[in-house]
Amino acid sequence: MTHKSLLKVDARTKKRNAAEKRFKTYGFAAIIVSMLALVTLLTSVIGTGASAFKQTYATVTVQLPEDKLDKSGVRDIDVMKKVTTIGYAKILNQGLTDTVAATGIATELSTKDIGGMLSKEAAATIRDHILANPDLIGQEVTLDLLMNGRTDGYFKGRVTMESAALDSNTSPEELALAQALADADIVHTKFNWAFLTNPDASDQRPEAAGLGVAILGSLYMMIIVLVVSLPIGVAASIYLEEFAPKNRWTDLIEVNISNLAAVPSIVYGILGLAIFINFMEFNQSSPLVGGLVLSLMTLPRIIIPARAALKSVPPSIRDAALGVGASKMQSLFHHVLPLAAPGILTGVIIGLGQALGETAPLLLIGMVAFVREYPAAYTPDAGLFGEASTALPVQVFNWTQRADPGFVERASGAIITLLIFLLIMNAVTIFLRRKFERRW
Amino acid sequence: MKDTHMQNSKISAKGVQVYYGDNHAIKDVDVEIADKTVTAFIGPSGCGKSTFLRCLNRMNDTIDICRVTGEIKIDNEDIYNPKVDPVQLRAKVGMVFQKPNPFPKSIYDNVAYGPKIHGLARNKAELDEIVENALRKAALWNEAKDRLNSPGTGLSGGQQQRLCIARAIATAPEILLMDEPCSALDPIATAQVEELIDELRQSFSVVIVTHSMQQAARVSQKTAFFHLGNLVEYDDTTKIFTNPENPRTESYISGRIG
Repeated sequence: MTHKSLLKVDARTKKRNAAEKRFKTYGFAAIIVSMLALVTLLTSVIGTGASAFKQTYATVTVQLPEDKLDKSGVRDIDVMKKVTTIGYAKILNQGLTDTVAATGIATELSTKDIGGMLSKEAAATIRDHILANPDLIGQEVTLDLLMNGRTDGYFKGRVTMESAALDSNTSPEELALAQALADADIVHTKFNWAFLTNPDASDQRPEAAGLGVAILGSLYMMIIVLVVSLPIGVAASIYLEEFAPKNRWTDLIEVNISNLAAVPSIVYGILGLAIFINFMEFNQSSPLVGGLVLSLMTLPRIIIPARAALKSVPPSIRDAALGVGASKMQSLFHHVLPLAAPGILTGVIIGLGQALGETAPLLLIGMVAFVREYPAAYTPDAGLFGEASTALPVQVFNWTQRADPGFVERASGAIITLLIFLLIMNAVTIFLRRKFERRW
Repeated sequence: MKDTHMQNSKISAKGVQVYYGDNHAIKDVDVEIADKTVTAFIGPSGCGKSTFLRCLNRMNDTIDICRVTGEIKIDNEDIYNPKVDPVQLRAKVGMVFQKPNPFPKSIYDNVAYGPKIHGLARNKAELDEIVENALRKAALWNEAKDRLNSPGTGLSGGQQQRLCIARAIATAPEILLMDEPCSALDPIATAQVEELIDELRQSFSVVIVTHSMQQAARVSQKTAFFHLGNLVEYDDTTKIFTNPENPRTESYISGRIG
């Protein structure tokens, strides 16, 4: 046998070392690719969507003539309601023209064109304001009113003088006036709280569209998913893991749960449509139905990791508990479950995250509808979470289909909101998980 | 102990058979275990000594395929009577396992858990006293008294096993079953636990399964030798180790089989 020096690496070892090095490189490359994908996603979404959180407003001083708004002079709300937004729009047109004149900016635009720079929503805003404060009639008020989507787009760089020349909804003259008003501090851009509180708006007024209903709808649905699928899922996994006899039936149930986790989500939408809307006759588009459908979808996705978590608790802990005379329930609730809790919570995070972003099943149960009214959590006739609503992912889906370019930033803004929603949920779960982990 | 009627036989087993599915693990074992003595079960791996030990507090109930027949009486009561709740039985028959398995909780909570679930303490002060006594008996008090709130899993292996013993005796059992309690411990920790077992004999009937014949010889008064599921010989420890009757016992203790 020849003597081999340890200082010289032989061919076999070289090959093995090279293989290890290659493998490490592949892994590192995979990480880089996924990081790049994430960064690209975030920059593109934030790049397009961040502007949705800013909105252009005009500070307009408006005269509120009594003869136009309340001829009778008795401030009877029912009578005052007869003046529609068209009536208010005229007052606004005049108000903005006067404001322009007061600043001394020269313009050749007509009163109607000047007023057209305000959003169609502005008339509704001032009408609601007056109806809520009838005493203001006859006086002069100064309000921050929404500018229309094109003017708003100009300040966000979406609309340019060139594009305005080809656009029937605006004109270079209007944009020039808007710029002059901005220089005079009458038109300004501020944080868009309305984006988070307003309901959706029609195709023509992207500037007024908000996520209020969608956020509330998603929140209601998450509450339902949590309340329904967490206890049922955990109870089912505890039963299957700890109590169920091992036989053909439990094997069958196991296989079915695994299969259910892989069923495309739209199938759950069909199921929900058949059971909750057609058979149980809940309101369509309601968070109740949406939440129940998402719960069905989430259940197997909670059960599978919860069972794995229970299985991973060392049997010695169960023995120890039984050995000091704990009953099976006590051993389970005092020892096994707290140890399994972090694993179970991980499953819950993933399950809820998927449920939050799920769109397909919600389309089938009508949550794609255009909803302008906030859903009430409880109404006597609609029941719990029973009024029509929409959801964040569905709102994204909706807005991406609209023609007005103003909805592009809205859709991305909605995605940002959805991601923040998700981050908050995950942060809470991770906090809870940490708390359990620290205790043990 | 509360037990005043000094009955010599604490546990009495007659014709015990244990099956794991088709596997006949314990074959017709008869044994009488005396009160306030240390009884050692010895024998090669897989001979059924641990299985038999686990029959004494019905820990085998947790294994689905395990079936026990025959009669095991503790204080003249059949513990396999359907009226017996294994939970009550296990409070009376404590157990220490092969691998130290403290709960991932504080030292205090480990010991206090049994008394709590059995309602042995009416208030915090009583519980504190039970915990202290148990830790003292388990010779862990001096090391643990300043760190009662630190996790039991942070102790060394030997300390963990003594903690498990403290946990077992905190529920005031009458019998203590020990399944190879020293197999995961170093010689020093083993010596401490053995010393402890000898002291525990004052208050409990201790049944210990061990792989180490030296250990059996050191700590026990009675020794039972199991082989292939049979109880081959059961007698005073001194007799088993000096003058066994059965040739198989002799082969085992002299190291020819096993």
